[in-house]
Amino acid sequence: MKIELKSVTKSFSDRNEVLRDITVEEDFGALAIIGPSGSGKSTLLRILGGLILPTSGEVIIDGQRLQFEEKYLIGHRRNVGFVFQAKGLFNHLTGRQNITMPLIHVHGYGKKEADDVADMLLERFGLMNDADKLPAELSGGQQQRIAIARAVATRPKLLLLDEPTSALDPELTNEVLDMIKELRNEGLNIILVTHEMGFAKKACDKIFFLYEGRLLERGSSYEFFSSPKTPQSAAFLSKILEWNV
Amino acid sequence: MDIRKLFVKKENEKAKPAQVIVNMVLALAAIYLFFMLSLKRLDMKLDFSLLWKFRIRYLQGYKTTVMLSIVSLILSLVIGFISAIGSRSNILPISYISRIYVQFIRGTPMIMQVYLFFYIVGTAWGISNRFLAGVLILSIFEGAYISEIFRGGIESIDGTQLEAAKAIGLEPGQTMRLVILPQIIKRTLPSLAGQFASIIKDSSLLSLISVIELTQTSREVSATNFAVFEVYMFLGLLYLTLTFPISMFTKYLEKRFSYENRT
Ligand SMILES: Nc1ncnc2c1ncn2[C@@H]1O[C@H](COP(=O)(O)OP(=O)(O)OP(=O)(O)O)[C@@H](O)[C@H]1O
Ligand SMILES: [Mg+2]
Repeated sequence: MKIELKSVTKSFSDRNEVLRDITVEEDFGALAIIGPSGSGKSTLLRILGGLILPTSGEVIIDGQRLQFEEKYLIGHRRNVGFVFQAKGLFNHLTGRQNITMPLIHVHGYGKKEADDVADMLLERFGLMNDADKLPAELSGGQQQRIAIARAVATRPKLLLLDEPTSALDPELTNEVLDMIKELRNEGLNIILVTHEMGFAKKACDKIFFLYEGRLLERGSSYEFFSSPKTPQSAAFLSKILEWNV
Repeated sequence: MDIRKLFVKKENEKAKPAQVIVNMVLALAAIYLFFMLSLKRLDMKLDFSLLWKFRIRYLQGYKTTVMLSIVSLILSLVIGFISAIGSRSNILPISYISRIYVQFIRGTPMIMQVYLFFYIVGTAWGISNRFLAGVLILSIFEGAYISEIFRGGIESIDGTQLEAAKAIGLEPGQTMRLVILPQIIKRTLPSLAGQFASIIKDSSLLSLISVIELTQTSREVSATNFAVFEVYMFLGLLYLTLTFPISMFTKYLEKRFSYENRT
């Protein structure tokens, strides 16, 4: 899949620019957006997902230019999956209902069809025992896996994830990353914001490195991790990998 | 056996059934004694049989109170919801009207509002049916409290829930219907149930404008037989038959609610 950004900027009210003049063209299967806290990663991902509008600039995904008007964007949101850091499941609905709700109310499935799709996914990802529990009764890892199942149930071509594991304990992190990897292997295109450098390096083919709202470095993740080209990215990597075994 | 064990429960533990029974009886006995002593000082004997011949009127009054409360509950839910949404509106006149309404109602005594609205609603707008006037006054009053309950409910909804609704492609109307409303209802149900008990009690003030509900019925009865003690004790009992079950229900909802929100 290919994304193109042309002079994308974003500022909230009169504050400093959170994204500054990002222009890039990238082919990717799995793209990791990394960078220090506050560098604008979530903001960029939300723009790609059509959840917020850039202040200026153009976004082109697979040749389709995003039109920044609500009606178009609702359609765009329906075509991509989005997973939040945490608490993205509707907390008044069970796991299964979280998956079927968009199918029924957004994509026009019948109740039975939607239940079948949900059960298929729940079965496949080992979540059957959690299907009828409310989010509050599930572990963080189970919640995130159901959130991912909900996002892919509608068969999007692109899945966006904003730090899907950063609220999780290490052992739960892996079950979520495994699921993402499995979906990637099936050909789903993925853009994820992450602090899991191991995953970015091994499972993602491309990297965006954001720093204070600028896209400082981009390209193949292998190259990025073996020889970062800017002092900022080198410093970021050495800091984040400091305690790695 | 340590006698204290009978009266004192352990910290962080529920009282045992035997403790509950013994102590509940004791508490009720103490209250009963206080009443009896008061009566003795006044040299009075209670005779509840005086009330029997008013049973038809009591039944009527009871029915009126129940109807008044139910209709007012429904109407005040509607008013409260509109006002809660309105107060958050970006359209300033709507927002200000909603806020002024809530402030005014919550900041002034109901008795004043009953009279004021009775003259506005009743006289100026020619609503002569007292039941209807009563329902309107009570609903306007309770609506302000319910508005605050709803506003709290709306504000307690996590921002990510709304963003998730957006992300899956819901339209604003669907977000309201499928995400916001169900969550608000679940969260506010205990408070709303509690408010229903308040509505029942507050409806007694409508006796001021001669809506013949329970309190007004009792006033009329006591004016004919002068059995003030009996009449008002019985009145309290009648209100309790309505509010006590609601209070139990509220407790149950609160418990369930806190369970569902544990993390
Ligand atoms: N809705 C908003 N209103 C105002 N400022 C915002 C808003 N959202 C983000 N910001 C600001 O934009 C900057 C970038 O935020 P963003 O969430 O994109 O960073 P991030 O790279 O995702 O950081 P983190 O790793 O901590 O999640 C921050 O300074 C943040 O305070
Ligand atoms: Mg972020």
